[in-house]
Amino acid sequence: MFHRRELSLIIVIAALGLVLAAIAPGYFARENLSDLFLGNMPVLIVAIGTTVVILTGNIDISVGSVFAICGVVAGIAAKGSGSVLVATIAACGVGAALGALNGSLVAFLRMPSIVVTLATMVALRDGLRWGTEGAWVQDLPPGFQWFGLPQSSYPVVACAIVVVLQSVVAWAMRNLAVGRAVYATGSNETAARLAGLDTARVTFGVFIVAGALTGLAALLNSVRFNQIPSNAGLGLEMKVIAAAVVGGAAIRGGEGSLSGTLLGVILLGAIGPALTFLGVSAYWERALQGAIILAAVAVDAVRERRAFHAAVAASGPA
Amino acid sequence: MRQGVRFRVSTGEWILLLALSAEVLLFALIAQNFFTLGNFFEILRLSVELGLLALALTPVIVSGGIDLSVGSMMGLAAVLFGAAYHDWGLSIAGAAALALLTGAAGGGLNATLVANFNIPPLIVTLGTLSLFRGIAEGLTRGAVNYTDFPPAFLSLGQGYLWGVVPTQLLLFVPILIGYAVLLHRSVAGRAWYVIGFSPAGARYAGVPVGRRVATLYLLSGLISSIAAIVYVAHLGQAKSDAGSGYELDAITAVVLGGTSVFGGRGTVWGTVLGLLALSVLRNGLHLAALPSELTGVLTGALLVATIAIDRLRDVPAARPQAGQEEEIPVKNSQVAVLCGTIVAGSLIVAATNVWLVRSVRSAAPATSAAPAAAASTSRRPVIAMMPKAKGDPYFVSCRVGAEEAARELGVDLIWDGPTSLDAARQNELVENWITRKVDVIAVAVENRGGISSVLRKARERGIKVLTWDADAEPDARDFFVNQATSEGIANTLTDEAARLLGGKGDFAIITGALSAANQNEWISFIKKRQAEKYPNLKLATIRPSDDDRDKAFAETQTIMRVFPSVKLVMAISAPAVPGSAEAVRQANRRDVNVIGLSLPNMNKPYVHDGWVQTVVLWNTKDLGYLTVLAGSLVTQNKISSGTTSFEAGPLGTIQIKGSEIILGAPVMFTKANIDRFNF
Repeated sequence: MFHRRELSLIIVIAALGLVLAAIAPGYFARENLSDLFLGNMPVLIVAIGTTVVILTGNIDISVGSVFAICGVVAGIAAKGSGSVLVATIAACGVGAALGALNGSLVAFLRMPSIVVTLATMVALRDGLRWGTEGAWVQDLPPGFQWFGLPQSSYPVVACAIVVVLQSVVAWAMRNLAVGRAVYATGSNETAARLAGLDTARVTFGVFIVAGALTGLAALLNSVRFNQIPSNAGLGLEMKVIAAAVVGGAAIRGGEGSLSGTLLGVILLGAIGPALTFLGVSAYWERALQGAIILAAVAVDAVRERRAFHAAVAASGPA
Repeated sequence: MRQGVRFRVSTGEWILLLALSAEVLLFALIAQNFFTLGNFFEILRLSVELGLLALALTPVIVSGGIDLSVGSMMGLAAVLFGAAYHDWGLSIAGAAALALLTGAAGGGLNATLVANFNIPPLIVTLGTLSLFRGIAEGLTRGAVNYTDFPPAFLSLGQGYLWGVVPTQLLLFVPILIGYAVLLHRSVAGRAWYVIGFSPAGARYAGVPVGRRVATLYLLSGLISSIAAIVYVAHLGQAKSDAGSGYELDAITAVVLGGTSVFGGRGTVWGTVLGLLALSVLRNGLHLAALPSELTGVLTGALLVATIAIDRLRDVPAARPQAGQEEEIPVKNSQVAVLCGTIVAGSLIVAATNVWLVRSVRSAAPATSAAPAAAASTSRRPVIAMMPKAKGDPYFVSCRVGAEEAARELGVDLIWDGPTSLDAARQNELVENWITRKVDVIAVAVENRGGISSVLRKARERGIKVLTWDADAEPDARDFFVNQATSEGIANTLTDEAARLLGGKGDFAIITGALSAANQNEWISFIKKRQAEKYPNLKLATIRPSDDDRDKAFAETQTIMRVFPSVKLVMAISAPAVPGSAEAVRQANRRDVNVIGLSLPNMNKPYVHDGWVQTVVLWNTKDLGYLTVLAGSLVTQNKISSGTTSFEAGPLGTIQIKGSEIILGAPVMFTKANIDRFNF
């Protein structure tokens, strides 16, 4: 199947790349690319989960708050136990549990996901503020930063995790029954149910996966530093939804791909620093980012409309 | 299609009405001066801007769409309104016309992209959310704050009719009625419901879908700009951050009011109830002196509980794909149990808090018997103290000192503030404290133009007003507890930068949010100092960190690549200093210095390892202590306008210059002394 949105995105990214190569070749230095990758890694991991949720026709806007909580939990667990493994399990476990809370309300009570996750977003964020009073988790055990690895090898490890995660999920979504069930649920839930799928379980499941991935992202981000702030992930939900949607995921569900999301994350993650490299003032950055998102989707819409008109013309008057 | 045709109250609205009555009853019992006519109108006044956005969003959501750009449009319209009046010499009417035009143009852009290009509204308005706010920031460089509007205009947002009715209700009520008629009594309204049920079905039924949808987004842009004008009149200031985050509050109100996000279902009356439920909750929590964080927790619980009960009682005719609602695989009893748990949970949280606050209050006199007895036998004075943002570690450390002082002096301390930087919330809280009749209000001012009018109102009602951390206009307060002037801080930082660089070289500034007032003031003084004293220093760039450690980290990495000549990063937001330091450390750039304004604790590891050279700040605990002490002395009339100094217990003798209580010089935390401070 040919994805037009992905092609549009590749064109936009390539154009941005060409401009950068001409004006600021330093952008493509290995260290810069490595830093860019690490900076956007949490966005990508969370976006994988969000894409799967969007594919079922739901949405999860609580990821930013869950991200902050999981980071703090990972830090406290690491301090308490001194073991990174315990911290990993704690972060992913808490993420999955909060995902399960969202999922059960959406799947079993059939409440709209945007309402449920809006509620949990606000409640969890303010709950965390209340609990921590803004204090950071400090004095982490020495083996915590970079999992105790040397700084230079952490990007390699992180990259390996992300590549494996992205390709396994992408492959599963295409080839495994569970992946097809996600698409089926999102395309037409009634039809999927009549075809014998337990759509409530599918929905419940994707929220747990999204929560656990958010926990993993929080952990992988936290280990890059030696203290953990309690206000992390503000606005993260907007970033990941924008990436998924720019990457071609239909907000109604059933349409979209993980490769599209990957391209969306690359485009949105590359723009910010690229504008600095190109010498754009920080004060105009947000306006330009909005314009580029709109341009990317408008180009696609125009092409789609042309294709539609061409098809109508070809089929002739009825 | 049962709803909408008549003004019939649906099950969801009954539940909401019940919840609202429960709120009112609860707060009437536990909150001071809650159940009064004046407070009722005050709640309405504070709901107008949000209410306008919620009204505009109701038909948008009914039609199955969404508009996330309403808050940003408020920012853009406010900035253009201010610029038109102040810079381009237009009259208020002309400026208002321009703001409305902007709203219509922005709404038109959304409408074109949604209706003509068939792009999903979520994507379009996500894009314009950044675009509108970005243009507002770009035009004003984040910093310009337009104030000084004529009093006749300000009375639109601050005045009263017949002594009690807020003026802006005159604007709100017609728009409310207009929307009710439009949605429930007009052809267009019917079309929006039909489109919400099924756009394809609507098209086959002969509804001009594109045109009807376009009207919606156009209207929502227009109403956002009206909300912007009311906002400017209410706060007396126009700045690019007007209305940030309002879109989510507005959506919460709409959804709480029973409008289905799938479209096809919802009423204007439901939205009004939802809006009132939110506003009453916020107001009641403030008057009961419960922490603001509870607002979020309880709003979430309320949202889940109302919708869940609604699902249980009322099988909705939602969109066709989800039409098999009868097959809900859970029993109603299970739903009821779950809802019960949620409601019970939130009540327990609320009750524990009431209990905690009460118990703290009753425990306090025992620990501070002597000074309290000395003061008099009368009621303990209540000092309400507001930080700029509650979760900020800087203000958390101020609180420690404030509470210590309150214990020693035998005063009741209410410590509350917005959970994130938000000038409008500060005003709202001051209004609520006036209603609660506290004795002293002490505010760390986020926006001086905006808050001064309410502080003046507090003084008129006989409440003593102090400002701390950042000042309001001098006639709006009795005293300003001044920890260090903006100019003093900027000079200290610039001098330190010059010292570390040997008087010449490039440096970069990492600020908080681009629109943060404090930081922008410091930046302007830093530039001034550098131009006057250090011509060989060059400011290479200013980057925002949005008070996010991780963003400061990434920005510093980029700065070091793009500007290799930068040898010093000056981070002027507390979380940004450790973020920058970590970036320099990971790049192993020993030649780059990091200095900034931050808290000692989060920078200790970096200062000890030599990545951060100097952290500049004052003793925040002392600042909190001094503020409460000054508040207590003011209520006893022990300091008044003529006083030049007073004894401040552990802080020694404190000077008063004019109406400014001076804490002392800023502290420079370096390797040598940083371990002596713990905050």
